[in-house]
Formats: sequence, C-alpha cells, structure tokens
Amino acid sequence: MDETMDREVIKGSALLGVVAAVAGWLVPGLGHLILRRWSKAAVYFLCIGGLAFAGLAMRGGVFSFGAEDLFDRLGFFADLGAGAFYFLAHQIQSAGPDVAHATGDYGTRLFAAAGMLNLLTVLEAFDIGQGGQEK
Amino acid sequence: MTSLFGRLNHFQALSFFALVVSLTFAYLSKRGLKARAQYALWAFLAFLLVAIGIGWLMYPFSQ
Repeated sequence: MDETMDREVIKGSALLGVVAAVAGWLVPGLGHLILRRWSKAAVYFLCIGGLAFAGLAMRGGVFSFGAEDLFDRLGFFADLGAGAFYFLAHQIQSAGPDVAHATGDYGTRLFAAAGMLNLLTVLEAFDIGQGGQEK
Repeated sequence: MTSLFGRLNHFQALSFFALVVSLTFAYLSKRGLKARAQYALWAFLAFLLVAIGIGWLMYPFSQ
C-alpha cells in the first residue's frame, strides 16, 4: 500500500524517536512498524533482513569487537548495524565463515552492507519519531 | 535457504545485492509508489551497468 495517501500523522517526541531508532536497529523495519509506516517497515525488513541473511548463508565473515586492523574495526561497526542479525550470526551461520572462497567474501560484503543500510533506516526512524519531515 | 544462497554465482549475487539496495534506497529517498518504482528500477539498472562496465575494464588485467 502506498503510504503517501493515508500516512498517519504522529505526534513526535524525543522519546519516540529514540525508541523507534533502537527498535529499528535491533530488528530492521521494527522502528517504522512502531511509527505505523507499514510499507516501509515491510520493505526494510525484507530487504535488509534478506541481505543480512544472504550474507550469513553465503558464509561471509562477521567482524568481532577488538580487532587490531582499522578496516576490521570499521567492519565491526558496519556489521553491528544489522542489530539482531549480528548477535544471532553464529546461530544462523552454524557452519562458520568461509572467506577462502569468493562466495564467502561476497557474503562478508553483503552482511556489512545490510548493517550500513539498517543504520540509514534507523536515522530515518529517529527523524520520523521526532516529528521531522519524511519522504 | 542457506544452500540456495551458498550456490549463487557472481552475477546472481550482484543482482540480488543491486535489487535489495535499490529498493531500500527508493523507499528512503522517494515518496509515492510510482516515484519509488522508477527510482528502484533506475538504480538497479545503474548498479548492473556499472558493475559490468568495471568488469570489462578490469578484464585485460586478468590475462
């Protein structure tokens, strides 16, 4: 459904913005669901969740906290953006990463991209929750 | 599902990535179903075109 015709006007507040942002970070799209942006919530969950799941299913690497290399540290913050998918990575990816093959290397990039995309949607959810303009 | 993604070849993985990123960007940056569909299609094709173009540019160096 197109939200532009029947978008609910919500009374924004700093608390609602923070709650939506945290929820959206934990589960892609959940922040928008709280804000009653149904189609955005569905698209973000399917796209970002799908991208994160694909990255893990392709046996991509997941960066951990405390890496010494600068790029690994950046990778950690990108991966962390995927929220629950980051914390459940070892359960989803029971066979562990395999970056020796090209598919695993692509999986690493896909998972990091999912985290970065989710951070963009978190910023949008925070903005809508505060009562800001939205697309 | 896990084995499905594990069997993707390079182009399929690229196409999947381009599709989901294009859709997300469309919903982040455009308002209205038509504008979003147009933007998603444009971004998806641009992703593919640029990736194939860069692939061709790098081809001589692989020999």
